[in-house]
Amino acid sequence: MQQSREYKPAIGQRRREGVWRYLLGIAIATAMSTMMSPAFASSPGFAATPDDLAASPGLLNQEEDAAPVVKAQAEVAKGQDGCFLCHKYSGLGRYEKDAKNRIVKRIFYVNEDMHRASYHGRLNCSDCHEGVDKIPHTDAKKVDCGKTCHLTDPSTGKRFSHKDIVKDLEKSAHGAKGSASGEEQSDLPACRDCHTNKPYLLGVQQQMKSKAFTEICHQCHEESAWIQRFLSHINYRLSMRRPSSEVVRLCSKCHANPDMMARHKLDVVVGFLDTFHGKAIQFGDEEVANCLNCHAPYALGFSPHRITSRKKDNSPVNAANKRETCAQANCHAAATQEFATGSKAHPSLVKSTLLVKEGDSGGTATTKLVQVDEALQAKILHWIRLFYQILIAAVVLGLGGHRLLDLYAMYRDTKRGGH
Amino acid sequence: MSGHGNNERVFARLTKSERIQHVILFTSTTLLIITGFMLMGEDWVVRMLGPTGKSIFYWRGIVHRIAAVAVSVVCFYHLFYVLFKTTGKSWIRDMLPRLKDGVDAYQNVMYMMGLRKERPKLDRFTYLEKLEYFSVYFGMFIVISTGTMMWTQSYWPKFYLDVADALHVGEATLAALAIIVGHIFAVHYNPHVYPMNRAFIDGNISETLMKEEHSLWYERLIAEEVSKPANTPEGGHGNA
Repeated sequence: MQQSREYKPAIGQRRREGVWRYLLGIAIATAMSTMMSPAFASSPGFAATPDDLAASPGLLNQEEDAAPVVKAQAEVAKGQDGCFLCHKYSGLGRYEKDAKNRIVKRIFYVNEDMHRASYHGRLNCSDCHEGVDKIPHTDAKKVDCGKTCHLTDPSTGKRFSHKDIVKDLEKSAHGAKGSASGEEQSDLPACRDCHTNKPYLLGVQQQMKSKAFTEICHQCHEESAWIQRFLSHINYRLSMRRPSSEVVRLCSKCHANPDMMARHKLDVVVGFLDTFHGKAIQFGDEEVANCLNCHAPYALGFSPHRITSRKKDNSPVNAANKRETCAQANCHAAATQEFATGSKAHPSLVKSTLLVKEGDSGGTATTKLVQVDEALQAKILHWIRLFYQILIAAVVLGLGGHRLLDLYAMYRDTKRGGH
Repeated sequence: MSGHGNNERVFARLTKSERIQHVILFTSTTLLIITGFMLMGEDWVVRMLGPTGKSIFYWRGIVHRIAAVAVSVVCFYHLFYVLFKTTGKSWIRDMLPRLKDGVDAYQNVMYMMGLRKERPKLDRFTYLEKLEYFSVYFGMFIVISTGTMMWTQSYWPKFYLDVADALHVGEATLAALAIIVGHIFAVHYNPHVYPMNRAFIDGNISETLMKEEHSLWYERLIAEEVSKPANTPEGGHGNA
């Protein structure tokens, strides 16, 4: 039942976008339902149990005896999990009620090729979906992204896990421990609210399948499936993760939702797309700041998983740190403290009087508190706009009326044969 | 050009310098309006640009700045022109608002509504032309100062930039609409001059149009011509 909440936005997103987005939406939905769909833990033809694989060196291990294991795992990767016996049928799904009694559509169809091309394509269903032994899968546990995986980290040889990231997230503003809002914990995002196990860039992958492209790899490495996966991984990590427009849409899913923000006593972000940054992003400019470039700038060592409230001292958007954030990566290299503080980079629906901590020009925090009256600022901007609205109406109606009257007078004169 | 014969007498309306100033002003203003209002576009329009949007956005900013410099230079040159050049001084002397403009406006409106028999006799610059001219001063003061602020944004508090942005957008919208309903009508759609008043190209105004729209100026020039027939300083130059 719980998964349905994560699933809904994908449907909504599909409706808003064009054909390309629709296809991508299907791909994402498919990949997501792969992760959600319960799977058989033990099935005929399953080559190795997770424990066996854990004990043996992983795919990225460079030891000599790795080759047979790679082959064994590649066979597993060909879908010997047995789940696709049922889950390959595109009609597999049902309507059901979620926790809030809304009817939601659940799709259990998984496109195997799509799954194999995704980031988690090397994993089998049962690696993430534990305890799926019965049909129907009434014993399925919720997928835990923080569990220890049977794959090994090639740098240490230890078993791989996302648990450090999960811990970071828990302590962040988005986590159960770090969130200021005690109630409504169900609003807090889970891994899959942001991460959708997308397929690797298909065009690039197609290129990598060509023999010429990977010939140099084959001089030392044998397994072409491994080579492709390795290249895909490196290529993905070196390229931009998400276009800015997608980041904005992702954050807006919650932060532009007035009901949800009211539950957590947070400002609703409404004006970002009207700012210069927002406009540039709409044009496809990736050089300007999206949400994450200010709220969790990688360039300054922050991570989206450790995002904190702007009221915390270590937040990049805390008034004491804002100047440095604006000046990062030569964005606004000459930014002064006054430029960075004193008003928000994007307006909110709720206009409140804030107490912000002001730093000196060197960027180190001082204890001087400056009261920024956001309500007054909003009023002043409103008055300017109102002044121009009235002036524009007066000028257009006045001038236009005068010209129309003039036309009428000329017409009248012509009829009289005056001129 | 209705009723304006080709062999009609013409009078000098704009000097060469004024015409060059005007060309620079209207080309750069057009570019500024187009590139500026691209930021106000609906997102679905912008999204239709697809992958080319990025370079369009880049060039939008460059063109806006180049046109802004051009328009600023021409504005400051115009200030110099009206303060120190002979033709410029005569221009600003005739342009300064006076009590007669208010009377003219009242009488003209009364005439147009059919409550008066005669149009008022208008001088070299009519009350609407004066209004347009000084609106440009006001508008240019706002957009050049706020535009400079936004160009040097790092040195200003964020809130001042918000104010500058609101003023810049408001003034630009006002100017664009005022140009359409005011100036474009007066020099293009006005039946006296349709399809356009050619004064901005050759600097001349026909005798017919003089009589229709600037009859007081016309009478003054003719009177001057009668008193000293040769080398009239700002009069017409014979039959074209």
